[in-house]
Amino acid sequence: MSGVALARARSLEEALELLAADPEARPLAGGASLVAMMNAGLVAPTTLVSLRDVEALRGIRPREDGTVRIGAMTRHCESAAAAELSGTLATLRAAARRIANPVVRNMGTIGGSIALSDPGADYPPALVALDAEIEIASLTGARRVPARAFFVDWYATALEPGELVTAIHLPAPRPGIGIYRKLARVAGDFATVSVALSAGEDGRVSVAIGGSGPAPVVSDEANELLSETLDDPRAVARAGESLAARSDPVDDVRASAAYRRRVIPRLLAEVARAARLQGAAA
Amino acid sequence: MRIEGAFRIAAPRAEVWKRITDPALMASCVPGCEAIERQSPTRYGARVKLAVGPIKASFNLVVEVVREEPPERVRSTTRGEEGSRASIVSAENVVALVEIDPVTTEVSYSSDVSVTGRLGKFGLGVMRKKAESMGADFVAAFRARVEDAGAAAGAAPAGAVAEGGR
Repeated sequence: MSGVALARARSLEEALELLAADPEARPLAGGASLVAMMNAGLVAPTTLVSLRDVEALRGIRPREDGTVRIGAMTRHCESAAAAELSGTLATLRAAARRIANPVVRNMGTIGGSIALSDPGADYPPALVALDAEIEIASLTGARRVPARAFFVDWYATALEPGELVTAIHLPAPRPGIGIYRKLARVAGDFATVSVALSAGEDGRVSVAIGGSGPAPVVSDEANELLSETLDDPRAVARAGESLAARSDPVDDVRASAAYRRRVIPRLLAEVARAARLQGAAA
Repeated sequence: MRIEGAFRIAAPRAEVWKRITDPALMASCVPGCEAIERQSPTRYGARVKLAVGPIKASFNLVVEVVREEPPERVRSTTRGEEGSRASIVSAENVVALVEIDPVTTEVSYSSDVSVTGRLGKFGLGVMRKKAESMGADFVAAFRARVEDAGAAAGAAPAGAVAEGGR
């Protein structure tokens, strides 16, 4: 990793120009993963384009139509404390609180995390469960991709060369609850399996599973089974089986694929119980 | 890690044998294989590029055919280094052909692969998934090459060709 140049972009335009000029340049957000991967010799970019000074990528803002925009450079600690992420959107806040440790949460950003798309990361299932949209920019313009279509394969996203994640758009929060639960070997580890659930008082429930495939696992059948019937253990069990059947987990140091498949319905049942308790308390 | 699988191909076993022992054809079916050269009658050098997300690697591989048992089985070893970087891959491979009927052959393969160095740190779980998807791409390319050749020569009956098109 000798001879890495650092360029500090002052605007989104400048960042995109620097990235387009060199296919081996990489955007530097919080550096929580990228710098660790450089140190391990896994990646060797020629230039790091720091996004720190790009004001347009910062902040969590509710918009006039009720939707919420989270700038790509928003750090995990900010998302973890955001009052805007309430009601059904609390899923994302809960996921942010479970990322790694305080040091990483003070550095890492939501845009950087989802651009890497680690299969055990906490944001991807939360964003998929919430039907978020990913805002992407390049020199030729901007586009939005549904979270479900953004995570395409192991460590692969819908991002094309020269494109940058600029923001995450969440639908308007509905009254209800959002839960994120993960099974991890130790506090702060990536998820062995995780469950992101959002349940509105209107009865609509949406769930996604992390750590169990190249992309968060979703099942329209599971969402239908869970909607209105989160307190029916049989419906929850069937939804869990449906999600486990769609999973494609790896065998690795955290767990075997078979173990992960067995955990999915159990962790979902635990989340459904927690949702009932929270709903009763509300 | 052990990678294994099997697939059927609509061609006679002798025909499939000819193809799996044709290094140029095999190389053209391996995803990311950029160049192949014959170093001796049983030794080939190949350059293979692969990427998992942001991590890219280019290996210089040497494939040595250890034993051929026509028309049933080939044993080979693969050893390779990643240029100046510190990853080493090695594998022991067996490819076996079973005649299902005169126009259908089952090809089974197994490979014991070990990866050390910087890519070893990345975790074998995802690498296995990557290897499986490269295996599927290889099978699709190989099947297309063998069955198209058979169809062009008029050797394969219509039924066999239709099966291959599935």
